[in-house]
Parts: sequence; structure tokens; C-alpha cells
Amino acid sequence: MKKLIYRYIIAALVLIATFSSCTKTIDLKPTHTIDGDVAFTKIEDYEAALTGAYSRLLSVNYYGSSNGSNAFATLSDMMTDNLYESSESLGNYQNFSHWTYTADDANIDASWLAAYRVIQQCNLTLRNIDKLSSTNEGAVNRVKSQALALRAFVHFDVLRYWGEGSLRNSTLKGIPYVSIFDIEQKPSRLSVKESYDAIIRDLQEARGLMQNMDKAIQSATSTASTARGYIDEIATNGILARVYNYAGEADSAIRYSSMAIAARPLASKANFPLIWQDANTAEVLWSVKFTPLNSGVGDNVYYATGNRASYRPTLNLTALYDQVNDVRYASYFQLRARGGANRLVLIKYIAKQAQLARPDGITDFKVLRTGEMYLIRAEAYAQKLMEAAALADLNTLRAARINGFVPGTETGPALLTAIDNERRKELVCEGHRWFDLKRSDRLVDRITNCNVFCSLDAAAREWVWPIPQTEILANPNIAQTNGY
Amino acid sequence: MKKLTLAIIIIINSFPLFAQKTVTGTVTDAQDGAVLSGVNITGNGKAATTNSSGKYSIEVPDNTVLLFTRVGYAELSLNAGINSVVDVSLQLIRRNLQEVVITGYNIQTRRQSVSSISKIGGDDVRSQPIGSFEQLLQGRSPGILIQSQSGQPGSAATVTIRGKGSVLGSTDPLYILDGVQITSSDFQSINPSDIETYNVLKDAMGTAQYGSRGANGVIVITTKRGANQKTRLNYDVQYGKSELPNSKLQLMSSAEKINYELNYDRPDGMNPNGWTAEEADSLSKINANWKDALFRKSTTVQHQLSIAGGNDKTKFFASGSVFDQQGIVITTGLRRVTGRINLDHTLGNFRIGLNTYIGSSKFTNTNENDQFIGSPLNALRWANPYVTPYLPDGSYNETDLLLQGQPNAVKELVENPVSNKQLKLVGGLNVEYRFPMIKGLAARSNIGIDYTENERQQYFDRSTYQGSQQTGGRGSFGQNETKNNRQTITTSISYTKPSGVHRYNISLFNEVVKRKFNGFGYTGFGLVGPFKNGAGITPGTSSNGFIPVVTSTETENAILSYFAIGDYSYRNKYFISGTVRRDGSSRLADDNKWTTFGAVGASWLVSAENFMSNSKLISDLKLKVSYGSSANQGVGDDYEAKEQFGPSSYNGTGGLILTNLKKGDLTWEVRRSFNAGVDFGILKNRVTGSVECYNANTVGLYLNRQVSGTNGVNTVLTNLGKLQNRGIEVALNVTPVQTKNITWTIGGNFTYNKNKILALDGTNENVNANLNSINRVGESANSIYVVRYAGVDPATGDALYYTKDGKGTTHQYDPNDKVIVGKYDPPYFGGFNSSINLKGIEASFLFTYSFGNKIFNGDRVNVENPLYYVSNISKDLLTEWQQPGDITNIPSPFNDFQPNTTRFVEDGGYIRLRNITLSYTPALVMLGKYKVSSLRFFVQGQNLYTWSKFKGYDPEVATGYLQGAQYPALKAITVGMNIGL
Repeated sequence: MKKLIYRYIIAALVLIATFSSCTKTIDLKPTHTIDGDVAFTKIEDYEAALTGAYSRLLSVNYYGSSNGSNAFATLSDMMTDNLYESSESLGNYQNFSHWTYTADDANIDASWLAAYRVIQQCNLTLRNIDKLSSTNEGAVNRVKSQALALRAFVHFDVLRYWGEGSLRNSTLKGIPYVSIFDIEQKPSRLSVKESYDAIIRDLQEARGLMQNMDKAIQSATSTASTARGYIDEIATNGILARVYNYAGEADSAIRYSSMAIAARPLASKANFPLIWQDANTAEVLWSVKFTPLNSGVGDNVYYATGNRASYRPTLNLTALYDQVNDVRYASYFQLRARGGANRLVLIKYIAKQAQLARPDGITDFKVLRTGEMYLIRAEAYAQKLMEAAALADLNTLRAARINGFVPGTETGPALLTAIDNERRKELVCEGHRWFDLKRSDRLVDRITNCNVFCSLDAAAREWVWPIPQTEILANPNIAQTNGY
Repeated sequence: MKKLTLAIIIIINSFPLFAQKTVTGTVTDAQDGAVLSGVNITGNGKAATTNSSGKYSIEVPDNTVLLFTRVGYAELSLNAGINSVVDVSLQLIRRNLQEVVITGYNIQTRRQSVSSISKIGGDDVRSQPIGSFEQLLQGRSPGILIQSQSGQPGSAATVTIRGKGSVLGSTDPLYILDGVQITSSDFQSINPSDIETYNVLKDAMGTAQYGSRGANGVIVITTKRGANQKTRLNYDVQYGKSELPNSKLQLMSSAEKINYELNYDRPDGMNPNGWTAEEADSLSKINANWKDALFRKSTTVQHQLSIAGGNDKTKFFASGSVFDQQGIVITTGLRRVTGRINLDHTLGNFRIGLNTYIGSSKFTNTNENDQFIGSPLNALRWANPYVTPYLPDGSYNETDLLLQGQPNAVKELVENPVSNKQLKLVGGLNVEYRFPMIKGLAARSNIGIDYTENERQQYFDRSTYQGSQQTGGRGSFGQNETKNNRQTITTSISYTKPSGVHRYNISLFNEVVKRKFNGFGYTGFGLVGPFKNGAGITPGTSSNGFIPVVTSTETENAILSYFAIGDYSYRNKYFISGTVRRDGSSRLADDNKWTTFGAVGASWLVSAENFMSNSKLISDLKLKVSYGSSANQGVGDDYEAKEQFGPSSYNGTGGLILTNLKKGDLTWEVRRSFNAGVDFGILKNRVTGSVECYNANTVGLYLNRQVSGTNGVNTVLTNLGKLQNRGIEVALNVTPVQTKNITWTIGGNFTYNKNKILALDGTNENVNANLNSINRVGESANSIYVVRYAGVDPATGDALYYTKDGKGTTHQYDPNDKVIVGKYDPPYFGGFNSSINLKGIEASFLFTYSFGNKIFNGDRVNVENPLYYVSNISKDLLTEWQQPGDITNIPSPFNDFQPNTTRFVEDGGYIRLRNITLSYTPALVMLGKYKVSSLRFFVQGQNLYTWSKFKGYDPEVATGYLQGAQYPALKAITVGMNIGL
């Protein structure tokens, strides 16, 4: 009997050994992520990847802000005469407002990566999607067109910072245009012209695909707060208008801005303030949707949660407004108390309507608005010396914003200055001022609120961002920006 | 080896009185209860020796003092009185060849072992008032660098064995507790007093046995077990106080700060706060004491009760303990309750062992090593001295944030409680069967589990700054629970031939180590009502902004292994060992799952040769050498080789984003190490020691291969580089005096480790700008890479920097001028100790030291940046450049501030009085009539003084890069008592 028990126990030992030897033990699969080799068989997978691409825009180094570079929202304004750094600042963005950045700047590195990370996700959305075309062409077109347009749009943002020139046919250094996901590729910089070629090609292909879809990308008419979060044909037209305007191709800029204006009229004076509270989406062509738990948008300028106004609007900017009658002034700026004293802070991105009592900085980033479309068209007309048409657009916009506006009569250089000032007033902290100065070869001149680092020469190397040092080290084909 | 306890246990039986009689008894080893043969007993001119079963017999008169001596053991003398049976245990005091070491899966004596193993006795170190056991080992043994970056009770130290063999991967050693792998850096719930020995396996002979887990060294821990002896009860108690050490970083007083604000010119003008003369005058007189508001003299209390005993069939050890240590920062601390039962039972040819351990702890901590303005430890630096923590009515002073640039740190700390509760279960069942038909053949199976459950709760009060930053701006409550379950199942069969000219052992193993981790957590927002917990959460709606966050994760990995270990010895003088292990891992790509590791080693016991046997000088001499490989698996996640897409969300819709790149070629980074050493004992082992040298090359080093950022990622984890650690370790123990009444020992150890990168990813260097570090071929990993600061130009007040070639200086800070100025990891380290025992009164000390490294002091960056004058700043800024001709080291505030320079790089060397103990052990004979078998009283000081140039609290900065908010190691004094019945 006793011997029998021993045998059982020995058998048990042997069994344990045998059980543990099964190689299935080490064949484990993730449960909370998806294996890329297994997924991407259905259109829903590609739709999810596209949603992922949009979500990349929420990064703190793209449109988000708290502790990130906020590169494509407010950072560019911090580098200009629109804003000055206050004593409340923790100094984290001084490299930018003082233009002392170098190729090893962590924020420049992060911004480069954040942009190409959106592009990566677009390219993953496009990877092998064509194999579904035969069964579901309309759905493929709907997903593919957005991925192409978003890819082009983000490349254009990269070109704005890193392109050595702005004009359509510039042979100066542009940017790498990345249209596949391949970790081993080491792309070189195209010329500015070639960069534009690629951007416009993708945008035009997207427009074409949008003519043949299984269903609309989003409601064309809704002005609900969740509406207009995706790039549809109207938004694509808006992007094209902006691209052609930067490129100096006035005819195309007029063509596409006109289409956008026709589809999305200017907001009423009553609706305008509500745009910034995300209570409606009047005149918004495309806005990137931030929801609770995402990052704040303008935190680097005014951190609403902590009431810290690191950067404040300059007198030089605020003096341009008719502070009583212009609906923009009260929508954009407010006196808020700190330490018993009031100071003027940017409230454009303070909160959605429901959170205004306890602002958290979480608002949608309005990427494209009809106001900009009018200014693009006015600029394009002026460039074509069609001053009457330019003035008409400018007056239409000003009348829409300013109570009791008496139409202006500017001509010649005064008209160009008026358009430029209107861009500052209309688009402050929407990521334009730096690039407007750059593309017209002007200098930054902080004539108010400034003691040190008050101007940046028009010829300074800092107008073009350096390629991050990490990229230079990893990619032998890429050329550093001149001067770095 | 310093000894803290005598731990001499004698059992004296009373017998009737005779004038001259025969005294008999058994002599055993105090540590493992093994009988000791060859012990010399003298008394009254007679002498005797114990036989092979440890028994002796000697004829002496009553009240003779017997002297027991044996090589390697402490002498013991005692009055036999009228007893006729005197059983004694001798304490091993010096490492010698008979010492038993755990070589991994097996146990050998040092004589047999060819490995490099450091053994530290649990009882030698356990009295130190520290919550996490690995910190007890600091300075005790060569080759092991232990850096406790944090003084928070219960926080873990960084342990590095023989240099960092990995750049990206973990450098934590593998911890094996009674045969069960336990999670490293997770020791808050382990009771150090249960630990019998720490065996640190340093060379390939030991680590190759653990294959893909062993590259960073292995610490094999055994817990105490019962013995065939009378039941013993031990009670230990300890009580002490801790306080904040001094800091060399001086900040401004109120008068200095107000003076600075009023009289020093700066970009936004003098007197930026606009103080009137009266205000300035009254503020100058306030000297707020933030230190007293945030820190305290804290208490440590420790109780432990253990009971051990058994008979020839069943042995047991049981213990219970309570450890309660307050941190020096108010609110912080660790409270732990533990229990253990270890059972051994022999049934015929079966031996069954059962270990069960349960530990429960509550760890309350605060943020540290960060630059966050909400961190209370930063507030100590940054709070203006003219702003008091409390208002006169006792409420928090919340003078507008603008004044200080930060919230009230006391309020943030007290009103935002955080707690980490941990439940830890470590248990195992092992069964051994000795085949009766074939002598020496045995089968073993060990099934063990390491289960940890963590519950972290974080409350942010809506009235605090951090609370206002929560989603919805009205505080939050979050709870996160994780469960970590690791099973280790080892089955083996072995054959041993333990005697004769040829002796050998061969063991075949199969092992499975499976780990499953899952976590669940939530954070709710919009706290209402008086609740400081989940009850106060406002249910989230689409409009109120209080939508809670819920997280969930689960991940799993497994290793399946087959391995063999063999040892052979010839004439018990020449030894050869070998190991081969094949590991299959779930974490690698399908084509790459299996890897083979192995090691061979040999040793020669020179002192056992005939030509040495008469040497009066040399008592022990052994040469050893080994070579082999093991790997490191501590990198990436469990599915690192697969292309993974994780969840994302946009505009209320769920999406997928790429979270991990596919890495089909990923494999382990393999460390191949060579070890050669000599162990010696001189003058009857009055002097013992060892010298070892090693060379370990890590190949397939995990590196973040730089790829073009245009792919959306700029690095890919790849097996690429080559890294070398070579070094020398010396340990020496001397007993200058060993007489009947006085024992004096001196011990010391020294390690030099040279770390060198041999190859990177095709490029020559890899810079980490965030930590001011660089990995460059030919240099140490983690070298400090900054621009050299050249002082201040007296004419302009601008900072000057050396150009790259070092020949000139420039006003323009340029990152291209960065050079290597030192290394973060100390190449030289060790410890030395001494103890004197005079008739039971013992004084001992331990110094630990490390040098040759540098520290980047980020703490100073934040108080020397003139931009941050709104909060408090360094006293040194009073010497700021003001006008042409000023000779100073602090640039003008108009000059662009640049932190990444040698201005903030400091010498990291230090020497520390780690422990000093004074103890008294009353003579045993005196104790006999009180039925007490052992008694010891002690008073000790921990970290009482540190010699260092570092401008901060504590030069022990494990990463070398101090961000700020340093929680220094506790400076403590405790008193305690051990009593045995």
C-alpha cells in the first residue's frame, strides 16, 4: 500500500514536468491591444485607424498644450508681437519667445515627431486599404480621402515651420513628404516646390474621392458642438485655399476660398462669441474636437485651471481693436484678477460653455474658419491688384465683427496693412502671425511690453526651424536648415 | 563580516553535584544546527575533540571553564558549573571554506563552489531601521552597488551588481526567495527579520543557471527554518527617532530676499512686487519656517516575535512582526504587519517543505525627484521666507499664488492624502523524493507563488491647487488596483556521488515561470460633500464635465526552460562545474523564442595540496575561474515583438493607434562574463579575503536605434550595441585580536567597475538631452554631456562657456559645445566596518562610500534661475553680477539662463557613517537562572554623518540626475533589545 502511494506521487511529479513542458505555455497573445498582423481585414478596422489619426492631433505637441510644445496652436503666436511673456511664466517656452532655439531643442524635436506621428497614422490607415476597394469602394473612398487630406494638411503645417521658402516655385529646402509607413525609410527634404506638389496632389486626390462615397463624412448642415470634426470636402477646400494663399497662387486661393465661403457663411455677431465656447460651430469649416481629459489648448498662453497667464496680449495688438464694438475683443480677451490686480488674458481657449464657471482650458481647436477664408480672398484679390474686390471682402468681414462698422476705404499699401491687421485681430493665437510675417519676409518687432529680445531680423536663421538633431543623426539624407 | 549578535545558545541541564566527573555534550553550528566535528575542548589541563557526530567527552572538576575552539568559529568559553552535559553552538565568524553558500538551484560549501558568491547573514544586517531589505546590504559586500535615492520609508533602492550591463533594459538583479522569483523593487511588505541569508550570485557560473533572467546578477534569499532542537522563542523590539539631515544648499532669508527684490536690477525692473517701504520692512522681519511645517522628528517602532524548533522529523519556524516607520515628511510613512510559517517534514524517503508568508503594508508617500510646483518637497526650496505656512488664526496661508509662484505646500500635502496598500503572499511547496533503490538519486519539485496586490488611493481635495487642476476643477478621487501573480514551478531529478576520489552531482531541470499582471483603476471627479473617498464623486454626464476615467490592463508572459547543472571534483581539491540552460520565452518573436545559455567553471584548492599542508602562513587558498552567459529580459512590454495597436478616442468615437512597432528580430541582450578570483585565509584564518576580477560583455545590447522621425517614431528598440563592464573586487576581513575576553574585527570591501560602450547602433553616440547624458563608444554609458561653464564676463555680466575644443570661451551658449565631463554612475564604491567586543559589550560601525561620479543638481537649477525670483532663490544670487567690473560666478539676470552646463554638475563622491551600534550582551551563565538563553541591548545610529561636497541633502542620487524635491535618507537613532527564551 505504502509503495503504491509513492508511485502515485512519483507519477504526479512526472505529470507536473510534462504539463509544464507544453510549448503553448510560451505562446501568448495580447488582450488589451491588437496585433497589427491580425487586424485590418474589415473596413471598420480602417475607420478605427482613421479615428486614431485624428486623435493624434490632440497631442500636447500638436494642438494640445499642457506641458507640450503646442506647436501648431499658440506657440507660433508666442514668437511674435501678438504676445509677451509675463512674470507669471515658468519660462519653459522662453527659447521660442526669445528665438534662442537650437537643433537640440526638446520642443522642436517633439513638434516634428508629433506632426509625423499624425502622418504615420494616416499612412497606416492607407496601408493595404485598396484591397477592400472591390467590395466596398464607397467606404474605402470615404476613409481614404480623409487620410489623404489629413496627411497633406499636416505636411503643410510642417512646411510652414521648416520650409525655407513659402512661394510655390521656391527651390529652397522644403520638407520630407512621407506617404508610406516604413520604419527604415530615410527621406530627404524635397524642395519647397516639390513639397507643395505633393501636398496639393494629395488634397486634389482626396477631393476627387469625396465625389464617390458610400455616405457623407459628416452632416453638411449641423452646427451642433460635435459637428465638423472631420475633414470633408468643404474643409478640403479651406485647406487648399490656405495652401494656395501661402504659395502665392492668388487665382487658386480665390477659387477655393470662394467655395468655402459659399458653403459656410460668416457667423452672426450673436453666434460669434458662442463659437469659442463650443456652443455652436457657425462658420467653422473644421475644428479638432477636444473632450474632457484631453489636454487644454491654450494653456501655454493662459492656463485657466491655475489662472496663470504666462503670455499676455501686447498693447500693440489690443490697440488695433475697437474694444467696445468689436465682438472679437470680448470673445478673445478678458481682465481676470490675480493677486488683487486685473490683467488682460487670452480667453479664446478658456473652456466650453458648460465649464465656463470653472474653466479647464479644454476647447475645440478651430482649424479653419470662414473669417480666414475672407482674409485669404481679400489678400489674393489685393495681390492681383483687384483692390475693390479685396476691400469688399475686408469690409464684409469687419462689418460682421464690429457693431456700427463704417465701411473702410483703404487703398494701396494702406489696404495691405489693413488686411494684415485684420488677420492679427481675427486670427490671434490660431497659429498664423509667425507664418504671416515669415511668408512676407518681415521682422518681428515687439514695440510694446518688451525689454529684451524685442525684435527678430527678417534675415535671421530662426525664421526657419532647425531640423531636430535626432533626425540629423538618424537620417543621413536630410539636410539641416541653413544657418544651424 | 561584521557581526551584530553573538547568538550563542547553550542548553544547560542540571545534574547532581560531583567533585570530578565526565562532562559530555554536542557541539553544533549556531547558524544551521549542523553538528561540528573537530572542535577542540580544553579545561583544567585536559583536552578533547568532538567526533564526527559532534560529541565530546572530557573529565574535569566542577566549575571548570571550558574553552571551545574551532577554525573559523568564534571561541567560546564557559563555566560548566556542576553540569555533566554541556551542549553548545558555535558561531561562524569568518567566511571560510566550510561556509555553505547557495549557488543557485543547489547548495554547496565554499570549498566546492567555483562561483563568485557574496553571502550576507540576515541577522548581521537586520537591526538597521530600514523598511526595505535590499538597503540593508549597502556596503556589506563587494561588487554590489546599492543606492537608496529616497528616504521615504518603504521605498526601494537601486541595486546594481558588477556594473550596469544594460542601457535601456532593467539593471535590477533577479530576486529568488526560497526558490520563488519575486518582483524586484517591491519589498515594502517583506520582513527582513525572516531572512536567514542573502547569497549574491555575481559571475556567470551562478547567473547562467537562471538563463534569460540572470544577466544582472541574482540575489538568492533563504528564510529561517526550524532545527532539531528545543523550541526557542525570540522577541525583538526597537524604537527610534529620525530627522532631516542638513543641506549645503542655502536659500535666502526674508531680509535677503526683500533686499534682492528691492535693490537688484532685473529685466522687469526693481521691486517687481511693488513693496512699499513699510511692507518691505515688515516682510523682512518674517522668517517663515517651512522646514518645521513640512518635516518632523519621526518615530520608528518595530516588534518581531519568532519561534523555532522541531524534532528529527518535523521542524518549524514561525514569526510575526510589526514595523511602523514614520517618514520625516509629515504624512509619509510605512506600516507593515507580517507573518510566516516555514515547515519541514521528513517521511521516509520524502522530504516536504512548506513556506507561507503574508505581508500587508500601507505606504504613504509624497512626490519626489520632480520639478512640479505642487510637490511639497519643492516648496521647501521655493516658498518665499516671508510667506508663512499658516495664518495667525491657524488656517493655511493661501496668499495669492503670484507671490510664491506656487501653492501652499503644507496644504497640498495634508489635504491630498495618498496611500498605497499592499498585500503580498509568497509561498511554496517543495517535495523531495530520494529513491531508495539507487542511493544518491533524488527527484524534486518546487511549486511557488509570488502574489502581490496593490491598491493605490489618491484624493485631491477641491480646495487645493492640485485639486483645482483635476478634470472639472473640483478635486478627484482615484483608486488603482493591480494584481501581480507569478508562479514558479521547478521539477528536477539529480544524482549525487558525495564521497570518494571522484565526486559528482548532475541535475536535470524543467522550469516554468509564468507571470500575469492585471490592473484596474478609476478616477472620479467633481467631489461633493464631506467624503474623502469614492463616495464624494459626482456621476459624470455629457455636460457636467465630470466623466470618470476607467482604466484596465492585463498582460502575461511565460518562460519555459530545460536545464542541467553538473559538478565534479577530484580528490576534493579540483572542481569543475557546468550549466546549460535552454529558455523559451513568450516575449520574443515566433522564430526567435528559444535561446541557450551556459557556463563552465573550475577551481583548485591549493591549500589542500600536500606541499601547502604545512604552511603556517596560509590556511586556505583557492583559485577559481568561470565563463558563461546569461541574459536580461527586463525591457519593453510583454508583447514587444508584435506590432500593436492600442485604443484611442476622438470626438466620442473609439479608434486605434499604433503603440508598438513590430520587431521580428528582437532577442535577449546577452551578458558573457569571465571571472577569476582567489579566496584566501592567512594565519589560521585570522585574515581572510578574496580578490576577484571580472570582465562582462553585454552583446545584443538593447538600444533605441535612431530612425528617421518622419516615421512618427524616432527610435526602435533593437539588439545592437556592445557594452563592457570590467572590474576588480576586494574583500578583506581581519581579526587582529581574539582572546578570551576581547574580539576585534575589521572588515572592508572595495569595488572598481569600469563601464565602457564598445559599439552602438552604427553611430558613434547617442545623446539624451533631457538628462544631459550621452552614450558614446569608448566612454562609460550614461556619461554627463553638457557645455562647460566658464564663469562670468566681468565686463558684461554674461555667462561664458568654453568652446568645444576648450581653448576659447564664448558668450553664446551652443549645444554643439557640449562635451563629456564625467559619469553619473560611481566606478568606485564599497564599505568598511569594525567591531570590538569586550566581555559582551560590542561597539561597531559601518562606513559606506562611493566616488568617481558626478551629479547634475537640478535642485539648484530651479533656485539659481533668476527668472524664478518670484519664489525663493539661492543665497548665491546675492552675488549676482550687477555692474561692469563685478567679479562673480553668477551671471547678470539680463543674460539668458542656461541650465545644461557644468555650473550645475557637482562631485558625487561621499563617505557615510552608515551605521554605528553599541550593544551589550550579558554573559550567558548569568542569564541561565532567569531562563533566558540570550539577551542583547543596543543603541544604533543610522546615517549620522555624511562627508560630501554635494550642495543638497544627500549625495546618494541613484540616477545621478537630481530633478528636485529630494527626500533624503533618514538620519536615525534607535534603541532596541533582543531576547531569547
